Amino acid sequence: MTAHTGKVTPFEPPPAARESLQGHYAGFASRFASFALDLVVLSGIFLLVLAAINFAASVLTGNSIHFSRGNTWVVVAYAVWAFIYFAHFWGLNGKTPGGALFGVQVVTNDGDDVSGRRAIGRTLAFPLSFLILCLGFLGILLGDQRRALHDVIAGTVVIYCWDARAARLRLLSRPRYSAPHAPPESHSLPGSPGQAD
Amino acid sequence: MDPLARLRTVGDRLAPPTEALAQAIAERVIGLVIGALDLNALLAEIDLNAVLEQVDLDQVLDRVDVNQVLDQADLDSLLARVDIERILDRVDVNSLLDRVDVNRLLATVDVNRLLSTVDVTALIGRVDMDQVLQQVDVNEVIGKVDLDAVIDRVDMNAVLQRVDLEALVEQTDLGSIIAKSSGGVASDLVDAVRSRTVGIDESIARWVARLRRRPYTGPPGPPAGLRAPVAS
Repeated sequence: MTAHTGKVTPFEPPPAARESLQGHYAGFASRFASFALDLVVLSGIFLLVLAAINFAASVLTGNSIHFSRGNTWVVVAYAVWAFIYFAHFWGLNGKTPGGALFGVQVVTNDGDDVSGRRAIGRTLAFPLSFLILCLGFLGILLGDQRRALHDVIAGTVVIYCWDARAARLRLLSRPRYSAPHAPPESHSLPGSPGQAD
Repeated sequence: MDPLARLRTVGDRLAPPTEALAQAIAERVIGLVIGALDLNALLAEIDLNAVLEQVDLDQVLDRVDVNQVLDQADLDSLLARVDIERILDRVDVNSLLDRVDVNRLLATVDVNRLLSTVDVTALIGRVDMDQVLQQVDVNEVIGKVDLDAVIDRVDMNAVLQRVDLEALVEQTDLGSIIAKSSGGVASDLVDAVRSRTVGIDESIARWVARLRRRPYTGPPGPPAGLRAPVAS
């Protein structure tokens, strides 16, 4: 909309961020974005490892190894790597790299840290939510605790782990954002998504 | 025939004139005595106080029907003849009040009933508060106040909740202090990304709630047993 008017509107935090969301059940978009980022990260690392193996093989043997999606070993290795990736981070502190960026964390129903066993169980149950035509994720949209099928199986919930109100205050304290220190035209926060609108 | 009967007849015949003669003599003698007496001198020699001390006034008063006396008295005319002002002038009010137990008197007064009849608003309206306040040494009053005790009774959390922190950060140097103490562009970017994602979360949740025809009151949670806020 700003592209039509030619004016840049400052990024305005959502009304929900007026309160600290810390501890509240995370919504679908945050969880999906977190998972998508994790997928990118773990896939990138996997591809880097495959490329490294290919490079090493070509150096050592003179023949490059051609990896493809049809290769069973590649699929199995990818699944194992994904399992290790998620189980490790969830068992470590409940946060994968994607979760850390988007401020979501896996905890038990009671709000305790997830144990290693529970993290493994959640990781194993995670594919089930996909295998039933993604219906396992409906609980995030419809449930009072926003729990997916694998959350119910593992006895976990996903919560926001960042202080939205503190972030909002930080944002408002920026000289180029706060009103008394800058003219109205330059209120936008550089690098914020609001500029792209 | 009784020999004394003749004598008794003569006596009966002589008794009335003799009694009249004696009566006349007695009155004459009394008149002469009273005329000869100096009553003032006689009364002067009587110690009336000693006489009165011997009189049991309580017993006398017990025999007096006061109500009957009062009924017969014309109090109005009596009071009309009394000079009240003169009596009051002779009364030492201070000594009278010294003999009054004010506390005991006040104990018998129903203060609430008394105050219920007082128009406090009108009373206050007649008070010149400016004049009253001018006579008050505020510094002295404050000096007597235990500020620590007052502050202890203040719920600071409740006070802080009434503070518009966002306006405070935006309009004061507190904002620049926070800006200097917090991270740079990277943390701003993370905050912005998270805030934007939360905004999408809220939009989706509101949309779903509308489809389900349920009111949406914000993100649910946290878990009942969440022990402490989780650090990001």
